[in-house]
Amino acid sequence: MASGKSSKAVRNARAATAVKKSKPWGTLAAVAVLVLFAGGIFTYVYTQYEATADIRAFTPSEENQNPALDIEGVTSEEYAGQLHVVAPQRVAYEEFPPNGGPHDEVWAGCNGVVYDVPVRNENMVHSLEHGAVWIAYNEDQIQGEDLETLRNKVIGEPAMMMSPYPDLDSPISLQAWGHRLKVDSADDERIDQFITALQLNAYVYPEIGATCMPNPARFDVDNPPPFDPSEPGPDAMPMSANPEDFGGYTGPGDEMLDPSGAPEASEQPEGEEDPATDESEAPESDEGADASDEGDTND
Amino acid sequence: MVTRHPRARSGSAEKSDGSPPPGVGSGGPPWIRAVTLVGAVLALLLLGAAGGMLVGLPGAGGSAAPSAESVDVGFAQDMTIHHRQATTMATLYRVNGEDPSISQLAFDIDTNQREQIGWMQGWLNIWDRSLTPVDGYMNWMTGPEGHQHHGAVPQDENGAPAIMPGMASEEELAELRAARGEELDVLFLQLMLRHHEGGVEMATYAAERAGRVQVRNLASNMLQHQTAESAKMVGMLRERGAEPLPFDN
Repeated sequence: MASGKSSKAVRNARAATAVKKSKPWGTLAAVAVLVLFAGGIFTYVYTQYEATADIRAFTPSEENQNPALDIEGVTSEEYAGQLHVVAPQRVAYEEFPPNGGPHDEVWAGCNGVVYDVPVRNENMVHSLEHGAVWIAYNEDQIQGEDLETLRNKVIGEPAMMMSPYPDLDSPISLQAWGHRLKVDSADDERIDQFITALQLNAYVYPEIGATCMPNPARFDVDNPPPFDPSEPGPDAMPMSANPEDFGGYTGPGDEMLDPSGAPEASEQPEGEEDPATDESEAPESDEGADASDEGDTND
Repeated sequence: MVTRHPRARSGSAEKSDGSPPPGVGSGGPPWIRAVTLVGAVLALLLLGAAGGMLVGLPGAGGSAAPSAESVDVGFAQDMTIHHRQATTMATLYRVNGEDPSISQLAFDIDTNQREQIGWMQGWLNIWDRSLTPVDGYMNWMTGPEGHQHHGAVPQDENGAPAIMPGMASEEELAELRAARGEELDVLFLQLMLRHHEGGVEMATYAAERAGRVQVRNLASNMLQHQTAESAKMVGMLRERGAEPLPFDN
């Protein structure tokens, strides 16, 4: 049986060879396979190339050091780095969420941290100086899947942090040092473009190599210092603070620079406190309201 | 199983029977050659285009390494050594110091300068250059301003500085290791301030003259950041009724 079958197969094979010799389907098939193979490689590489178009366009490089400026809607400002306050002193930020300027000497953890509660501005701004991108969102507008989309851009990522921001005037606001972008949707492609362009961009952030790991002795990511919605008082450091005037430092003991000063008393001038800073001070501040422009806010 | 053996044998029988392989070769009509040629050219074009796109993909860059005598290499080598001492001093404060603000500063300096060392050592590694200075310190600063400021620094037999500006001596480091409390606060601030000031000359030179954008950028970033940090340390010293150490370089 076996040998009979075998010789039949040989005969069939020879017949097939004869057919191919007269009509060279084999050659055509080989050429087709070759072209298909090359076409497959081309298609694969082309797909990869297209998929990474944004990464190429928005990755900082020698030639294009700040690609964020090519993203529609991004605003940018220049700030001096290294101007520190120490809590409870505040900074009189003028735009919200703040994206630079004086800040607390303690930075907020920004090594892929998602804060579920609003965090004190002064700490968050210091993290921007360390190269982080901060995703702030409006809790009323960003929930469920949208929130999850944003969280996935942050958790475990270097130099990324995220927090809700009370009364935010857009659903999402992205901050990096000196840069801001407000968008309406968690699926907006500019979010990833902003992150690609500014996360640890060595041509943009003022302190190359600075860590996003918080100092465990001073900052607890599980219990961060809370966001303060009130207006900062007169002792807040202004945005226009000149590093020279402050010696680059305004610690708790700065009053000691002036030996004649009485630190405790001078910090609480009578009747000049902002009405919003402390409820217990309210009666006193009412007295001063007549003469000052604080009267406008009371109306 | 039983039927597979005969088939396998029949296959080998066919190979050994001497008939020429089917397909490609001398026998076909002229249009077959044309099709083969067009197919081959098409395949090459497709592969060429794919290759072109691969070259343009991120991470595909790369160019020649700076020479061993370049500003880029010299800066990376010397600033690594300079930074290492800063991280040593900052680590001492982090362990022995008690002032929260100075501790925060020490934490920042320690982590930040370690990472910058990583950048510089990484460059040297990938440029295939020595990771440490091979010919004394600061010999790469040979321009018009090079060397002229080194009068106050001890020099080796070649006239190159034997120690970089701002570096703490072994005795000073021993004092820092032994100090505690307010004495440690002041000594740490004094030594770190002088150390920062000592790095200014090298960073300024590299920020202006290094060949690589990345090196110039790191050097100028260091310069700006450390200048602001120095101002902060002056303020912290004054607050403690202490003065900066003389810096006569």
